[in-house]
Amino acid sequence: MALSSTQLANTMDDNYFLVVHPLDDIPEQKLKSEHLPTIDMTNSVRWSLICLRVYLLLLIGLFTYHVFELATQLLARK
Amino acid sequence: MLLLLPVCYFIQEMVVRLGIATGKGHAAMIYARFGKWWGRFSLFDLMLVNFLTLVTEFAAISLATQQMGVNPYVSVPIAAILLVTQKYKRWERITCVLCLLDLVWLVNAFFSHPHPISVARHALIPNVPPGGITSQFVFLVIAIIGTTIAPWQLFFQQSCVADKRLRFTDLKWARLDTFLGSCFTIMVAGAMIIVGNVSHEHGLTYQDPAKMADAILPFTNEFLRNAVLLMFCNAAVLGTTAISLSSAWAYSEVRGWKHSLNMSFKDAPGFYCIYAACTLIAASIVLIPGAPLQLIILGVQVLAGIILPSAIIFLQLLLNDHKLLGDQWVNKRWNNAINWTIVIVLFALSLILAAQVLAPRLFSAGS
Repeated sequence: MALSSTQLANTMDDNYFLVVHPLDDIPEQKLKSEHLPTIDMTNSVRWSLICLRVYLLLLIGLFTYHVFELATQLLARK
Repeated sequence: MLLLLPVCYFIQEMVVRLGIATGKGHAAMIYARFGKWWGRFSLFDLMLVNFLTLVTEFAAISLATQQMGVNPYVSVPIAAILLVTQKYKRWERITCVLCLLDLVWLVNAFFSHPHPISVARHALIPNVPPGGITSQFVFLVIAIIGTTIAPWQLFFQQSCVADKRLRFTDLKWARLDTFLGSCFTIMVAGAMIIVGNVSHEHGLTYQDPAKMADAILPFTNEFLRNAVLLMFCNAAVLGTTAISLSSAWAYSEVRGWKHSLNMSFKDAPGFYCIYAACTLIAASIVLIPGAPLQLIILGVQVLAGIILPSAIIFLQLLLNDHKLLGDQWVNKRWNNAINWTIVIVLFALSLILAAQVLAPRLFSAGS
């Protein structure tokens, strides 16, 4: 039966330093997120997402300005 | 550059902690905790900016090899094929060697004959160049920050931590690894700036960095010219593998496909197809005569401006998610104080960068 790196280290003499590549170790249990609902809308989450939306709208505005500017330049050339 | 060292470390440390705690990539976590809309937005934006960045990486390979007399129709496909045929451990070793090759930049910096006192003074004391704060100077500062803390890095490192299956006990080593990596990044970037300063001192002009290697030849030597060109290739190859992998990992995580470099093509066909497609299509675009590379570079800058703040906001919120991480893995108060400051500064700088690219006339009055 395979032993995890911690179990193996416990069985060895203190003078040895055992290095096991994570890929050669037994996979460990991670924190689960599948059963959780989406993140709670606390004040910080709500304001962060509002700021992000405002930021994205600003960028869309700048992009539209850029398109209009290019269009004006093209019309002026004609 | 030195100011960017803590910024780079603190951002990447959060990614490492989240990756070790959840064993999942950043895209998957945004999708799971913020819902489909934000998940799809982040993924689409990442895929697009990564693809355009990949094109610029292959353009760099093409320009540098062309300068060395190698036909890009040979070098670009070879680079593309080499990148899609790795296994995790082999890929990890190759990338470590390629990273260590970057130490050559220190040799390059030495052969550029910089003034040590001047280098030390400019490295430790931030100062404004003689022309003052112009729009070009602001653009350069933001571009340096944007390339040091790029959006793909967050997605790449978290997916890489998950794919390598780092354990909870590995956290302290992963932090050390991240710190050393951040130091290495800043050190190599500093060496590149020293080499570039040769052309600045002599008032040389050039259209692309590959041509800079030729331009500085009269003031340096043949070794430096060839080393600079080879290191450009090296950086582009490293960037290409990291970026195409971050796309493949993110897309496969969100789609629920198997996604690991430890799996064979048979076990994870979707992951490898995305990895190969990103690399090969980007390489093909570079080989099209007259491809609009300038437009692509502009697109990269704007899209990076969109995705970097959003990716960092999600990262910061995830690291404060007590339901997901419990009290052990969430940010401490001092973490939050530092990270929110970084987030706000990056937000403002990204907005200025995007505004400068999209609406340069708005800023021309101040230059």
